[in-house]
Amino acid sequence: MTRPPFASLKTSILLLLAASVLSAAGIFWSHQQDTAARADLQRQQAALNAAHARQAQGRTEERLIAQHLDAYHALIARGFIGEENRLAWIEAVHLANQDARLYGLTYTLSPRAAAPAALAGGLPLKQTRMVLKMPLLVETDLPRFLDALRARAPGLFRVSNCRLARITDAPPQPVNRPELDVECELLWFTVANDTGTTR
Amino acid sequence: MMLDHRLILLATPRQIGVLDWRPGRMHWLGEFAASEAGLTAFRAVVARHAQLPVLLVADTVDEDYRSEILPHVQGHARNELLARKLKQVFRNARFTGSWRQARETAGRRDDRYLLAALTDADWLTPWISVLHRERVPLYGITPLALACQHLLSRLRLQEPHTLLAYRLNNRLRLSYYHNGLLRFSRLISSDTPAQLPGNAADEIAKTQLYLTGQRILPREARLHVLLLDPSGQLDGTQAQLNADPAFSTRLIDMASLGRALRIPDSFLAATPEVAPLAAIAGEPLQLNLAPPELLQHHTEFRWRHGLNQAAGIVAAIGLTLTAAYWLHAQDLRDQVQLIQEEVQRGDARHAAIVRNFPALATRPDQLGQTLALATQLNRSPLDVNALFLPLGQALAAHPEVIVKTLMLQDMADGVAEITLDARLSDFDGNYRAAMSRIDSFVSRLAATPGVTAVERVTSPVDTASTATLTGKTTGETKPEETRFTLSLQVRT
Repeated sequence: MTRPPFASLKTSILLLLAASVLSAAGIFWSHQQDTAARADLQRQQAALNAAHARQAQGRTEERLIAQHLDAYHALIARGFIGEENRLAWIEAVHLANQDARLYGLTYTLSPRAAAPAALAGGLPLKQTRMVLKMPLLVETDLPRFLDALRARAPGLFRVSNCRLARITDAPPQPVNRPELDVECELLWFTVANDTGTTR
Repeated sequence: MMLDHRLILLATPRQIGVLDWRPGRMHWLGEFAASEAGLTAFRAVVARHAQLPVLLVADTVDEDYRSEILPHVQGHARNELLARKLKQVFRNARFTGSWRQARETAGRRDDRYLLAALTDADWLTPWISVLHRERVPLYGITPLALACQHLLSRLRLQEPHTLLAYRLNNRLRLSYYHNGLLRFSRLISSDTPAQLPGNAADEIAKTQLYLTGQRILPREARLHVLLLDPSGQLDGTQAQLNADPAFSTRLIDMASLGRALRIPDSFLAATPEVAPLAAIAGEPLQLNLAPPELLQHHTEFRWRHGLNQAAGIVAAIGLTLTAAYWLHAQDLRDQVQLIQEEVQRGDARHAAIVRNFPALATRPDQLGQTLALATQLNRSPLDVNALFLPLGQALAAHPEVIVKTLMLQDMADGVAEITLDARLSDFDGNYRAAMSRIDSFVSRLAATPGVTAVERVTSPVDTASTATLTGKTTGETKPEETRFTLSLQVRT
C-alpha cells in the first residue's frame, strides 16, 4: 500500500477519532459506574453482616436478660444499680450507730467518682467516699457498728480503712465514757451511666 | 464484507460486460458496446456501484506473454529489476505486469517470472476513463487467461501440461498452463464460426508446435487439451485431436462447470462469460497489468475502508465493554437493592427484639458481669473482729505495750494491713531493755496465726548504720521515748 492520501481520508480519520473518543468515554463512564456499584455492594454487604451481628447480639442479649433479670432487679432494689441514695445511707449509719448504742457520729460524703478501672472491669461502676467519725467506748464497738450498718445498708459498701486513736493517755477507767476516737472511710458502690440508663 | 463485494469487468475491444459479484451471489449487470451509447450506459452502471472495488479482465488479441528466469532478489532491487525487464521486453506498453511463479530448484535457484502486457490497449482507454472519472476503486487489470487458470483450479484439473481451448464470443482462446500456472495464451478471432471445428484442431496443433519450438512445452510431453465451448461448436474437435497420440482431449460440459463454480445452469447458459469472472473474483490477483496511477482510487478505498472498519471495531468494542460494564453495574445495583431490603428486614427484627428490653443501667451483655461484681463486692469485707483477734492476743501477752493509734486498711483479696502506733507503759532509760521488750512483742505478733508479715516502721532507737541518730542522756526519761510503729499484714 502506498503512502496514505490523508486529504481524502479526513472524514474516515475523524470517524475513527470520534469512535475512539466515544468508546473511551463510554468505557470510562461505565467502568466508573461499575466501580461505584461494586463499592456500594461491599458497603451493603458490610451493613448486612453488621445487621446479622446485631440480630444475633439481640437474641443473645434477650437470653441474657431473661436469665439475669430477676437478680438484676434485686440489685436495683438494694440500691446497687441506679442513682445513689445518700439519704438512705445517712439514715443507715445513723440507725446503725443507735443500734450499737454509740454516742453519735459525724459523716462526710464526697462527690461520686468513677471506681478504679481494674475493679469496674468496663462497667459504669461509681464509688462514693463516706468518712465517719465517732467516739467509741472500746474497740469492739467498731465491729458492732459495722455489722449493724451491713444489716441496714441500702446498697453495697466496703470499709476502706479505719483509724482508732486513744483520746487520753490514762489507763482505761470503768466508767461509761468514750475513750477512743475512730475515723472510718467507707466506699459506697453504685452502677449507673452518666447519661442515665441504657436500653 | 465490503471488500468481498466487487465488480468484475470483462473488457474486449468490442464490448464490456459487468458482473456484480459477492461470495455466493452474483448478478450480471449487462454488456455495453464500445460506442457512445454503450459508454453512457456503462457510466450509469458504474456510477451506481462506484463504491465497489473493480477488477478488469481484458480479453484481447493484443497481448503478449514472456517467461523469464531472473536472479533471486527481493524488495526494491526486485522492483527495479522487473521494471527494467518489462521496459526492455514490452518497450512502451502501458499495461504490463509480472508474476513470480516459482523458484528454480537447481543452480542459482533463480526466480521464474511470467511477464505479460497488453501491447495495444487503446481500445481500453475509454472504459478506464469512465472508471477514473467516477473515482471507481480499480484494483487490477488482468488477462482473461489468468481468470481461466482459476477456472481450471476450480475444476480440479491438475495435469502438468494443459491447454485450454476456450471459445467465447465467437473467438477461440488457447492458453497453456504448466502445473496449473499460466505460461502462454493467444486469442484467435474468427468471423466464420462454421469453419471452427477443423480450424480449432489446426490452431491447437499449431500452438503445440509453437510451444514446443519455444521450449515452453517439452517435446516428449503429452498435451492435455480441455475444450470449453458454451455454444457446443468445439464438440467435433475432440475426436480429431484424440486421433493424434500427442493429445489427450477432454470436453468440459457446462453442467460440470456450473457445479464447480456453484453457478445455476440457467444463469451460466444465459451468460457463459461469467464463468472465468466468477472463478477469479474471490482470488488474490497474481498478475496485475494496471499501472500504479490507475490504482490510486483503490488505495484510497482501502485506507478509507480500513479506517472505517477500525472505527467500527473500536465502536463495537467500546459499545460491548460499555454495555458489559453497565449491565454488570446494574446487576450489582440489583444485588445492592436486595441486600438493602434484607438489612432493613434484619434491622426491623432486631428493633422488635430490643423494643421489649427493660431499661438497664448497663448493657445487656454486661448483666452477668454486673451481678458478678456485686457478688465480688459483697465477698470478704474488712472483718474488724478478725483483725482485732490476733492483735488482742498479743497485747494480752504484753500488757506493757500501750496502743496509741490503730490503722486498719483493707488491701483487698482478703488481706488487711494494720498500722500500730504504741509505746511501752514504763521506761527507765534503758533503751536496750525497751528494744528487747518491743522485739518480744513483735515476735509474738509474727507467731500469731493469721499474721503473714510484721514490719517495724519506727523504733525508739534507730541503730541502722545509714540513719542519723540523736539523743541526750540527761537522766530524765519519759515513756513517750519508747514510741514505735509496726506494720502488719493480716489475712482475714
